[in-house]
Parts: sequence; C-alpha cells; structure tokens
Amino acid sequence: MYCSRLVPWSTPEYRNYYFLGGPLRQRMVRFLMYLCRCIPFLREGEDEASVRWRQMAFEKCVWLLRHGGSVFIYPEAGRSRSGWFEAKRPKDFLGRMALEVPAAKFLCVYLRGENQLYTTVYPAKGERFLMRADLIDGVLPGETNPRAISERLFNKLAELQLEWFKDGAWPRNCGGNDVVDLKSEKAREHFDLEANEVDWEWVDRHLTPKELAYLRSQQPAQIYFVFWKFFAAKEASHKALAQSGLQTPVGAYGMLEVDLFRRQVVHLPTGCQVEVAFTDDDADKIHCIAVLRGGFIGDEDNPGDVLWKVDEVPADAAAQDYAREQCLKFIAQSSDEIPSPSVLAFSEQDGIPKILRSGKICDWGVSLSHSGRFAAYSFMIS
Amino acid sequence: MAFRRRETVIETTDLNTISPEEAEKRIIAGVKKYATNETNWGKADANTPYLGHIIGIGIESSNLADITMSIERQFLTRKTTRVPVTGDSTEFRLEDGELGKLRILDGQDALAATPGLSIKMLMDLGHMPQNLPYLDKVVSFAYITAVGDGYRMNDALQKVLAKVGKFTGAERKEAVANLKAMAEQTKAYEALLADPAALAAARKKTYDNDKAAYDTLARELNVVHDKLKGLTSSNDPAAIARLRAEEAEVKTRLRMSAAKLRVSQEVANAAGRRSPVEEAQVQQIRKLLAQSVRLAASHGA
Repeated sequence: MYCSRLVPWSTPEYRNYYFLGGPLRQRMVRFLMYLCRCIPFLREGEDEASVRWRQMAFEKCVWLLRHGGSVFIYPEAGRSRSGWFEAKRPKDFLGRMALEVPAAKFLCVYLRGENQLYTTVYPAKGERFLMRADLIDGVLPGETNPRAISERLFNKLAELQLEWFKDGAWPRNCGGNDVVDLKSEKAREHFDLEANEVDWEWVDRHLTPKELAYLRSQQPAQIYFVFWKFFAAKEASHKALAQSGLQTPVGAYGMLEVDLFRRQVVHLPTGCQVEVAFTDDDADKIHCIAVLRGGFIGDEDNPGDVLWKVDEVPADAAAQDYAREQCLKFIAQSSDEIPSPSVLAFSEQDGIPKILRSGKICDWGVSLSHSGRFAAYSFMIS
Repeated sequence: MAFRRRETVIETTDLNTISPEEAEKRIIAGVKKYATNETNWGKADANTPYLGHIIGIGIESSNLADITMSIERQFLTRKTTRVPVTGDSTEFRLEDGELGKLRILDGQDALAATPGLSIKMLMDLGHMPQNLPYLDKVVSFAYITAVGDGYRMNDALQKVLAKVGKFTGAERKEAVANLKAMAEQTKAYEALLADPAALAAARKKTYDNDKAAYDTLARELNVVHDKLKGLTSSNDPAAIARLRAEEAEVKTRLRMSAAKLRVSQEVANAAGRRSPVEEAQVQQIRKLLAQSVRLAASHGA
C-alpha cells in the first residue's frame, strides 16, 4: 500500500459506501474509494467474519503507521447521534493501535458546521465549518493500558469540543427535567388503577407505535407507571432539545420516541438522540432528567454533570414561582462562587428559561418543572 | 369503566349546523376542568391561549390531548371516510361520508393553540364551513406565540423589578446588572414586535433550519434507496432487511420533519402579515414592555 503523511488513509464503514447504486456505480464508487485511500471497516457484527474483518483492517492501519503513513479514524466508532462527543465512553481501538506503534502521534480534530445542531449525512447548503485541532503523543512513557491511552485521547477531544463551543453561537449545555405527580387526579384520570383499566384512546395520542407496543406488553399493574415514564422522558427531552435550538411543536408527542431500555429519546424529525435517567421515582412521583449535550448524564460509576432537586410545593405557593425561587437557591448552594441567590435572576429567551448573573446569560442548561404537589429543577455543571 | 369523561353525557352537534361563535363557546366550556387559571378561563375568548398562566387558561401539556378529545366528543362531522394517502397506507385523510364522530388526526391540531385556532383548524379540514368574518377575529398561531413570548418576558422582568429594591451593596450591583440585561433584551423584543418584517425574518430563520433539515433527510432517504439498489443484487437478505428497516425509519422521520416544517412555515408566513386584531394585541404587549423598561431604568438599569 502506498504511504504518505500528506493524505491519510480513511476508515469508512463498508456498508455505507460499497453498495451504493447498481453494479456499474458500485464499481465506480469502489474505485474512487480506493483512489481516496479507504480501508473499509465493519463496525457492527460479532460473528467470526466481522471480527476477522475488523482485525485485518486494524492490521492494515498498524502497517501503514509503521511505514510512516497516516490513518484517519473516528474515535467514537460511529457518528454521535446527539451532536456531542462523549469523553466518558472511550473505545480501546485507538489505544491498542498506539501501543502497536508507540512513535505515532494523534492529530486530534474537532470539526463541526457552524449551524450544525445534530448529526446529518450531509451538511446544510452553504454551511461554514469551525475546526479545533491539537497534536498529542501516541503513548506516554510508562503507558501500557490501551484504555488509559484512549481516555487521554478522548479527554483531549473533549477539550477541543469545549473550545469549539466557547467560540460558537450555540449554548453548550442542553438539559431538561420533568416531574409527574402520580397521585394527582389529572395523572389518574385516564387510568383506573383498581380495575387495571386504561383509556387507550387517550394513551395512543401520546405514544409512537413502538412505544404503544411496549406499553401493551407490560403487566396491567405496571402500565400506569410505564406510561408516565414515557411522558416524563418526552417532556424532559423536549426541554433539552429546545435549548439546543431544536423546537418540537407543543403536544407533538409522536415526534419523540422513548426507549426505556436504552434510556434514550429520539427526536424523530432529526434522528437526534437525548439521554435520559430516572432519578427520584417512588410511588408518589416520577422524575426524569435529560441531557442532549454539554455533559454526562451519569451512570453507576460516574455521578454525571446534572444537578437536580424535587421538592414538595407548600400549599400556599404558586408552583411555577416556587420552582424558580428554589432553583436559584439550589444553584447558589451548589457553587462556592455564588454568594447568594439574589445575584441570579431568571430570564426568558425564545420561551426557554435562562439564568442571568452579572447581566450575562449563564450556559447552565437550566430546566423547571411542576406537577401536582411537586416542583423540580435541574441545571448542568459541566 | 370509571373514566369520568365517559360518565359524562355530552350532546353532540353537527358542526355544519352551528355558528363558529357557538362552537367556540362549547370548546371553552369543554376545557374548564383542565384550566388551572380559572380567572383567565372565565374571560376566555377566541384568542386566549390554552397553555400558560399569565394570559392563558393554564392548561398543562399533559392535558393537551384532552382538549382535542373534548372537541371530538362534542361535535359531529361529515368528513368520516378514511382515505389512505397515496404511497403510504399508514397515513389517512378524511373525506365526505355519513355524519359521524369527529376525528382529529395526529398532527392536525399542531397549530390549535386557542379556541379560535381550534375553530380555524376545523374549518381548514372541512369539518365546518369557512367563515371569513370569524377568522378575521382570530389571532394567528405566529402572533399567539410572539405575543405570549412578550408576556413571559415582561413577567420575568417584573419579578426581578419586584426584588431589586430589597438588595444593597454588592448584591444590588449584581441585581441591577441582571435587570439592565433583561431591560435591554425586552427593549430589543419590543422593537422586533414593532416591525412585522423583522419579526417575519426572525421566524424565517427557524423555517430555514427546518427546511434544511427536511432536505437533508430527503437526501438521506435517497442514499438508503441507492444502498438498497446495490444490495438487491448481492443476495444478502439480512442486509436488505436492515436497509428496509432503515428506509422505514427515515420515511417516518421525513413525515415528522414535514409536520414540523408545516408549523414553522405557517409561523414564518403569518408573522409578516398583521391583522387589526393582531395589531391590537401587539400594541398592548408593546405598551407593557415599554412600561417595564422605563421602570427598570428608574432602578438604574
């Protein structure tokens, strides 16, 4: 194989390019891909053939690097569906490659269209791109673990991503939350919990066919909770998406599809994915937080970048105002740099709540919610 | 069955036999149980938003489907024959048939943010005859949202104004800085409302984004079709099945994207035109915003 540092070898997904069009077009595409120096990759499949394919592609890349060539790789092994590079989920592939060729370096590049809100196959017409890049060592002295190397690389890319957003026009932190009071009359109106009956006509208007099939497969006693989990996830994601500039028409619940198993919500018109987590669930309430971008939602090992609280609203308080006041207090309590909630204020921008400090809008992805007896609020600290 | 809406006996009326004003009254009466701002519900008219607590009825988003279902329960229509939309058997449109239950299909109520807009939706879908004098009094969805944003902005500014006098020293300095920023934002929005062309240009940006998203998705569908064409000759049923699933997914997304585009297109188009009733609403909120800005200035902002 021909080696040159100037034009890197690329590693496109085999199925995305090599079967385009009829036989003639396929041959042309394959020839062009060869000219453009592509090593086809199979990202999916755990069968023997797929694993062997990946291993061969890996060996080709290593060979190229050893002979002074360069290879272009998407470190996240696929396109991010949220428009956010998640540093806390590193893949070992690049770490393994670096250990094979310790002298090689990583040229880390974060490239994104100025108005690119989410992942697309094509950039929008006339789009301008902003790029941040840095060159780092492949293997540091003493490094022997591929995961550690990948983590270092992913952290560098995360830094570049932060720099990109610092200079960009879009808010970085996009989060949302939603609370549902399960004991409220309104929540129960369409469910007869004693008889385990459901007003399916009403439920149907909030769910996609996939969600509906999942709900119908649940035990009758669970349907009520599962439905409100779907609902809370949709509402929280709606807020996170709106912060990024992706508005979903109010009440268009069918545009958001929840996967409770994967804890993801897909914005169907764009394919954009929001991560969700259920936090304070009990017999009284369901609370969901959602993160589109800006930080990590958290898992068993990492606490995540969203702070939230669910409170009971005092009987004499207006839920909306209470949520706002408590949210300001919560933010002030959570930071050593904010002396008191009085230095903060809520503002509105295109119908989205924003926090002001010293006259400047803070990129904190703040979100408010209330339902029945409860008020909930969240913000992001990344 | 214990659902209360089914216990209630509702007299259904043929939409072709009543005036829009009568239908509007019935729609408002039908949503009373979901109103959290009863004062606003009590004085609701064609242009009172269902959502929102400041000038709206205070209906929560979890009850939006109830509004549509309440309208469906109260009225009968002749548009009862379901006709599949060409090329996709999962989508239907309604055509003339026997008098029967009104059915508002998925997404058809996307712009029905007020009782007046609900009536407009019924007229647009052919469930009741068009009545131009009535529609002249209905504020468009574009202006319902634009004016609503103004009221929310004013409310946020008023809340800060109510607190700023209580602070002293460094806290007051920060509070005044926040107040100043909000006053500037409010002033800019008031100026935007003053100029229908500028408002339309601002709304057109959302439309342009949605249009770009739709076009990109349409191209994505072409790519899937290209891949399918290539795979058909490769005798790989698993890969073909996967691509068929991808094709179905992209088609669903395209349908959703088109629905979203319709909303932003309507908003962009309507924002540039202003009827007398919309002008009156705009003037009212502009006056309030200007007052709040003046008040903020008197506090040092």
